[in-house]
Amino acid sequence: MDFPFYPSNDFGPLMKGMVIGGVGILHVFLAQFAIGGGILLCVFQWLAMTGRSKLAREFVDGYFRWVVLISFVLGALTGVSIWLTTIQISPRTIGLMVQEFHWLWATEWTFFCLEVASGYAFYRYGKVLPDRTRLGLRMSYSIASWMSLFWINGILSWQLTPAGWLEHRTVWSGFFNPSFWPSLLFRTITALAEAGLFACLIINLATNWTREQKQTMLHRAFYFLAPMALMPLVGAWYFAVVPDDSRRWVMGESVAMTMFMTLGVGASMLIGAYAVVMLVNRRNFINAMTSLVLIVLAVGATAGGEFVREGMRKPYTVRNVLYSNSITEADAAEMRCNGGAARDPYPLKNEASIPNEQLRLGAKVYRMQCSICHTEEGANGLLGLVRTWTPSQVRLNIAQLQRTKPFMPPFAGTAAELEALVQWLAWREAGNPTDWEVSAEPEVLKTIQGHLDEVGTVSGIALMQQNEAAARIRHQDERNQKGSR
Amino acid sequence: MFPFEFEPATIFYLFLYGATLVLHVLPMNYVLAGSTYLAGIALWELARGPSLAQRPLVELLRDWMPFALGVTITAAVAPLLFLQVLYQRPFYTANLLLFHRWMAILPVLIVAFYLLYLQKSHGWHKFAPWVRACVSTGILGCFAFVAWSWTENHLLSTRPLEVWKQVYASSDWFYHDPELMPRLAVWYVGAFPVLAAAMLWQLWWGGQFGTTTAVTIGNLAQPDHSPLAPTLRSLCILAFVGLAGSVVAGLGYFLFLDEPVRARLISSRAWPYLGVASVGLLGQAWLWRYVWKSGCVCGGTIASLAGAIVMAVGAATGLREMRRTATVDLAAYLEQHTAATKIGGIGVFLVFAVVCTGGITAVVLAVRRGLAAGNSPK
Ligand code: HEC
Ligand code: HEM
Repeated sequence: MDFPFYPSNDFGPLMKGMVIGGVGILHVFLAQFAIGGGILLCVFQWLAMTGRSKLAREFVDGYFRWVVLISFVLGALTGVSIWLTTIQISPRTIGLMVQEFHWLWATEWTFFCLEVASGYAFYRYGKVLPDRTRLGLRMSYSIASWMSLFWINGILSWQLTPAGWLEHRTVWSGFFNPSFWPSLLFRTITALAEAGLFACLIINLATNWTREQKQTMLHRAFYFLAPMALMPLVGAWYFAVVPDDSRRWVMGESVAMTMFMTLGVGASMLIGAYAVVMLVNRRNFINAMTSLVLIVLAVGATAGGEFVREGMRKPYTVRNVLYSNSITEADAAEMRCNGGAARDPYPLKNEASIPNEQLRLGAKVYRMQCSICHTEEGANGLLGLVRTWTPSQVRLNIAQLQRTKPFMPPFAGTAAELEALVQWLAWREAGNPTDWEVSAEPEVLKTIQGHLDEVGTVSGIALMQQNEAAARIRHQDERNQKGSR
Repeated sequence: MFPFEFEPATIFYLFLYGATLVLHVLPMNYVLAGSTYLAGIALWELARGPSLAQRPLVELLRDWMPFALGVTITAAVAPLLFLQVLYQRPFYTANLLLFHRWMAILPVLIVAFYLLYLQKSHGWHKFAPWVRACVSTGILGCFAFVAWSWTENHLLSTRPLEVWKQVYASSDWFYHDPELMPRLAVWYVGAFPVLAAAMLWQLWWGGQFGTTTAVTIGNLAQPDHSPLAPTLRSLCILAFVGLAGSVVAGLGYFLFLDEPVRARLISSRAWPYLGVASVGLLGQAWLWRYVWKSGCVCGGTIASLAGAIVMAVGAATGLREMRRTATVDLAAYLEQHTAATKIGGIGVFLVFAVVCTGGITAVVLAVRRGLAAGNSPK
């Protein structure tokens, strides 16, 4: 077997997931602003052209400057950043995504090109172009930017709910997956709301408008938050189609995930409440400071949402296909026999400071299998997590990792590799002494092997499902027995 | 002939990769050489005071650089995609090995982008000369860094596992490769002829030569008889120096290559590329000489220049791939290439490629029409 070993990097106290999450949030937020902003500008351009609003004309050019300066520059580059960061974090995942969806990605690219062309044409010549052309450019820009969302949304939602693709392996069964439509709708609503909030900020910054004029425009901008009323519905749809286990983690089983979920929902609700206040009473006003606070809340909501979306996939990056640590279920089974980390050709960066071969192997096991979700001593630090456990507890819990927490993948390696990891953890905990005895008790290895064999390499999620099914049958049997008695 | 020693699936993606890479290289050349030009003038003005003769080109570049950078980045996405289908493992490995250093190109590009907007701002000429010099050389520094990083990454991706292991263990921020500087020089010097032609086209298309479709202002070596002469002269010089420099840099790089690679690049399999590249270079030289002698610019000159450039850059892209496949065993990834060809979606891509190209054409035409109507809103 040709397992793709890559040189793995260490982000220090930061979990790798946090790094990709951070870049992701920034990009999603900016891209949504660009998409919603495009649509908002179409509407305002139309308001101006049909004589419905004189102020709209002044507004569009000012607003568009921001869309360009933010989305062209930061949007485009954070997009490339996500790509390159994903390569840093999980080359195998992005590799699989590129492999399966390269034509759709290429399609998205054609829309990027159109977006840049129409956006720049407006930016440069908008002021001197006739209204019809202006509207045409706006529409072309909005359609192109929304289409880029359309394409990427299919690829990202596939990661969590590849359902039909697992069976048919066709690009469309993967693309139009169960969570495609709800997440597309959700993101579109978010994009509109974000655009409305930015509009409020920019309207407030206008120096030549009276308060009344600003008020009129603010109310028009707030219409873009109205679709948020659909959020609970679309959210419910989304949660109805994601896997059971993912939903349960978000709804309370995992503290961190539930926190992010609460952050997302809470921030959205505050924004929604403000929107209601603005929309029901035309006399209400919102100043620059409040607009800014609402934008910050929107960043919070995006952050919560993105973390939930990323975290919900655990232990997979592509559900049922690839674990977060870039090992497939088949790899895991194979590595139980032939070893995994022992074959990793890349040396350790601090090889010389590690006293024996076993500890070096342990460090490699950690690097390969755990470092994607854990750090040594920082966020989700492994040393801290096992500090109070006895060695046999550590052995058992790691050997049956997917049972310890179903959002961890099964251990992918031999008993000797596992013992090496246990020794390395103990050695690190002891403060990296210069001498460390090799642990070579055959009894220990036998015990570990027993633990490993007990659960095998099925995923924790499959285990849970098996347990639940078994419980249901037991329950049924008991009822039947009661009935027959 | 390269790449026909490979299987059809590999050739298919090589072709797509090469074609889209050319789309990246052309605007990238504009950005790289353009920022050098602006930095050069800014430094000159710092030392010698305003240089009015260069103003038309400076203004043109100042105005268009942000857009050119946007196009460079946007166009780069497609080759980035096909590169990952072709050379997934070596490319990712090089990315990972360079780590922070590699990721730094992104913040650097963001900084460069905003500096370009600053350089484009109305008040630019009111800034003190030293401020302008700092900004313009800063921009050049950013692009030079990015170009260097891509070259470094590329070379690292062509090296064997042994080198990768060393680089990983060393934790060095930089990867030193004997080919690095000579290779970068080829990219850098080769950018100038593209810049010169692009600016010539822009001036012509933008109506700087008047409303006629062709201008003839006579031999540029003669004393000035037209306000356009100094600008055209600068472009010719830029192109001549760039063309001659490219040949020298290309030969220089050749000497730094390992023997087997060298043999491959002059083998009969490379001849078609060497031939096309020569025609492209000589064609450009001939056309610029014609511009110099006659001071004549028309659509035909520009179209021919564009053709010659595409030949030269296209052939260089082919040779570049021959260099890479000399040390990367591309055939080893055949399975992946074949699997990729079986994946659906190409129809959708082709349809939208046509639709969006049509859309972009429509945008350009609509803007032209709108501008011609001179119909400005109140
Ligand atoms: C897919 C991500 C992921 C991977 C890969 C992963 N873990 Fe975890 N692990 C987690 C998360 C999330 C937690 C929960 C931490 C918490 O509850 O605070 C956790 C918790 C733990 C715990 C504490 C469990 C408890 O009950 O308190 C241990 C021990 C642990 N992991 C060990 C490992 C080891 C060893 C590896 C590598 C062989 C590994 N993990 C790989 C995500 C992962
Ligand atoms: C102004 C900014 C940029 C400059 C100056 C630049 C320069 C270069 C250079 C010099 C090369 C050739 C490397 C070599 O063959 O040695 C190259 C290749 C490439 N560039 Fe760019 N680049 C820029 C931005 C980008 C961006 C933002 C992307 C990604 C979206 C990108 C994608 C690529 C790709 C995919 C290749 C081919 C690499 C390979 O085949 O190994 N470039 N670029």
